[in-house]
This record gives sequence, C-alpha cells and structure tokens, in this order.
Amino acid sequence: MPNGSMRYTRGRGNAQLPLAIVAVLAVVLVLLGKAQSSLFDRARASFTDWTRPALVWVSTPFDKVSAWFDGIGGIFVVYQENQKLKQENARLRQWQSAALQLDERLKRYQLLLNAVPDPALNARTARVIGRASHPFLDTMIIDAGKQQGMKPGQAVVDARGMIGRIFLSGERTSWVLLLTDLNSRIPVTIQPGNIQAIMAGDNTPNPTLDTLASTTPLKAGDQVITSGDGGLIPPGLPVGVLVASGSGFRVALLADAGASQDVRIVDFKLPPEQPPAPSPNDLPASVAGLKPEPPAPPPTQQIAPLPTAPANGVLAKPAAPAANPIQKPAPQSTQTPNNDDTQDQ
Amino acid sequence: MSDRIGWSFRSAVGASIPFLSAVVGVIASNIPVSIFGSLVPPPMFGLMAVYFWCLVRPDLMPPGALLVIGILQDLLGGGPAGVWTLSFVAAYAIVDRERDSFAGLAGIGAILGFAAAMLIAGASAYGITSVLYWRMPPVAPIVVEIAISVVFYIPVALILGVIHRRLVGPLRGDF
Repeated sequence: MPNGSMRYTRGRGNAQLPLAIVAVLAVVLVLLGKAQSSLFDRARASFTDWTRPALVWVSTPFDKVSAWFDGIGGIFVVYQENQKLKQENARLRQWQSAALQLDERLKRYQLLLNAVPDPALNARTARVIGRASHPFLDTMIIDAGKQQGMKPGQAVVDARGMIGRIFLSGERTSWVLLLTDLNSRIPVTIQPGNIQAIMAGDNTPNPTLDTLASTTPLKAGDQVITSGDGGLIPPGLPVGVLVASGSGFRVALLADAGASQDVRIVDFKLPPEQPPAPSPNDLPASVAGLKPEPPAPPPTQQIAPLPTAPANGVLAKPAAPAANPIQKPAPQSTQTPNNDDTQDQ
Repeated sequence: MSDRIGWSFRSAVGASIPFLSAVVGVIASNIPVSIFGSLVPPPMFGLMAVYFWCLVRPDLMPPGALLVIGILQDLLGGGPAGVWTLSFVAAYAIVDRERDSFAGLAGIGAILGFAAAMLIAGASAYGITSVLYWRMPPVAPIVVEIAISVVFYIPVALILGVIHRRLVGPLRGDF
C-alpha cells in the first residue's frame, strides 16, 4: 500500500536545524497570535473578502446537495409531518392572537407608566456563503461586511432564534462565531423565573450554562432568551430550551446553523445614558459660596415675516428689519434657592 | 541546450508538486462548505500530503514548506494562529526522526503510520488549544477529526502514489 512500495533510500540529511528553526517560528506565531490577534484576523478577513466570489460560486451547489441530503429523510414522513404541522399551526394561531392582545395591553401599560420604550432594532439580511466546523472552531461566513454596516459583536439570528454573533468583519464578508463554538459566551435569561446565566459553547450541539447557583430551580423545557446584559446583544432574542444532561442542564438551540441559508444581523444600539441636568447647587461656584454667573442668553433673532403672495401675483417687499433685532432678555434673578426641600415639596 | 532548459523546467515543476499538493489539500480541507450539515469535520488533507511526501521525498517537503503549509491551514481554518502550524511541525519532527520505520510500513501498517502522525498532530493541537483557552475542550471533535482523516488517507495516498510515480518520480534528476 502507500508507503511500502515507495521506500525512500536517500539519507535524512541535515534537516534538524531548519526543523528547529521552524519549530521556534511556529511557537513565536502562537505567541504573536495570542498577543496580537488582530494582525491575523485582518489577514483572514482580507483573504475571505478576496475569495468571496469563489465562495459564493462554490457554496451554491454544496448547499443544494446539503438540502437534498436533508430532504431524503423527510420523504418517508411527509404525511405525518404534514399532520403535525397542521396541528401546530392551529395552536400557533391561538398563541398569536393571545400575543397580539398582550402586546397591545403591554403598550398601554408602558404608556400609563411613562416607561422607557424598548430600543428599536435594525436588522439586515445576509446570505451564508460558508460554514467551517473544525475541532476547536464552529463558524460561518456571511456575504456582508463593513460596507453593509456589519460590526463585531452584532447578533446573528435566523427565523427560529439566535445563531451566534459576528466576531470578524471584512469589507464585504463577516465571520460569525456560532453559539456552539468553544469561545462563545452570551448572557441569557431563563424563563420562567428570570434566572440569569451565561451560556457557553463547548463545540457540542448543546451549549452549557455557567454561573448558575447549584440551588437554582430549573426544569427541562424552560425557555432561554438573551438577557441583553452588557448592551451588545438585544434582550429577548429566543435562544433555546433547557434539556436535561446528566446531573445538569444544557440548552437545545432553536436555530439550526447548519441549515440556515439566510440570516439576519441585528444592529442593537442602546441609547446613551443621559446624566441628570445639574442644579445650581451642583456647580462648584455655588458650593464655594460664590454667585454663579447667569447663563448666557440664547441668541434670538427676529425673523422677518415671509412675503406673502398678493392677489395680483406681485410679491410684496419683505418688512424692513427692526432697528435692534436682537433683544436682550430681562436679567434673571441670580438668587439661588435656599432650600431644595421646599422645592421638592 | 533547449532540451536542458526543458528538462530543468520539468524538474522544477516536479519538485513543486509535493508542496502544491499540500496547499491544495489545505484549501480543500478549509473550503467553508458542508455537505453533512457540519456534523462531520473535514479531513486533514494538508497533513496527509505532508506525511506522504515527508516519507517518500523529504527533499521536496522541507521544514520551510511545512511552515507555509501550517500558516495557510491556520489562516484558512479560522482558529487561533499557529496551532496547526506547531502541530504539523510536531508530527513532521517525529515522522522525520522515525522515517525508516514509517517508510517501511505497507498496507494496514501504512494507514496506522498515518494514524500515529495524525494522533500526534491532533494531540498537539488539543494541548496548545487547551493552554491558549486555559480550559479543556471536549475530546470528541478531535477524535472524530482524526478518525475521518485516517479513513480518507486511504484514497488520498493512492492518488498521491500515482502522482509520485507519474509526475514527481520521472522528473527527479538526483536519483
């Protein structure tokens, strides 16, 4: 077989020194990659951008073959699947009606309570042009990059739930770190109970839950959604359900990253937190016992009225400007309030 | 004169085939497409070529070429930089040291020889990744990777053997 018939008779040569040099260079590469990962990431993103047309060209037939393989198994259970889907559809319609009513009620309550509305989510759709599943890496490549507004950290979802988040953006492509990847860590909430946890990927299909107290009451079937902690991923994105695994629980993901052809990238921006307006007592001058200077009056300008079209069609001349168009406001009282408590009352 | 130039050109082409076959193998391993829904990792075609040529024509698979192949594997694979480069170097070093033993293997023995090389590379990658991430990744994915690579080595070795006999062997001029 392969080697026996091709025995190499030449001497080994003095390859030990070059091999040692290469080994040292490889160690340096590992350390450099750890210290300056952006160098390698930039090269990787540029390479993916460069090969994007080829990836699109290659992935199309492979996706079709993959879909064909997936479809073979489904042929034999079409009838049962159809019946199941009809029942599920009927149940979902009832849930949809209930959800719409609850949504309206929630909006009314938010209005009554003057609650801060949820931040709006912008989403873009991109096509999956590559999937890489290696022993220590679980990623996919999408055909949208910085030019389309993609940024590292953005959540990637499909129709069923969250798939992962962008960890590297090129100009026209982006790498998505899947939730199952060894490096994936996202803050989640387990419902019901509003239990906070960190979901960690370990290159198995079902990620684990970290930072949970041992006495936390959990049961299989509990819903897992994103918590939004950290402000990078929007809260409330469906992630999966709890399944029992040994003595603990894992998360069965709702999304199927292997079958998703198109994904949505959620651009989540928390509104910047506004500090409260400073009161005169907060000013250093007031604390020092000095009278704070009155605030500069806003520049007001008397605007001449717009010319109106007369009945005869000839525009009238604009009114002559006032002699002193900028009028100073009356001087404000610089007396600071003596007692804030009385104001509050 | 023209015969000598033509012969030199063919010799250069033949000498570059081992390196190019490894590069093609790395690219084939890292084409980000999945037929089986990412259930099965792609085989390590690059390491197959490195192992094969390290045994039959080590002069055409020098350590410098190995470095380039390893960096390409890391670049295309998407993992931490240098993991597979160092793993390839570890496997290459042991195969190079025990070349006489490995080259004498035939049939099932030859497959087991590659399995040993793949095991060394996989164990090295696992160890380096554990150190980099400071935790132990699951063992199952790397075991599946090793198994898939060993299975695929059989047809790949046959193809490389044909390439060796038809393209690289006749063109070599040093023996």
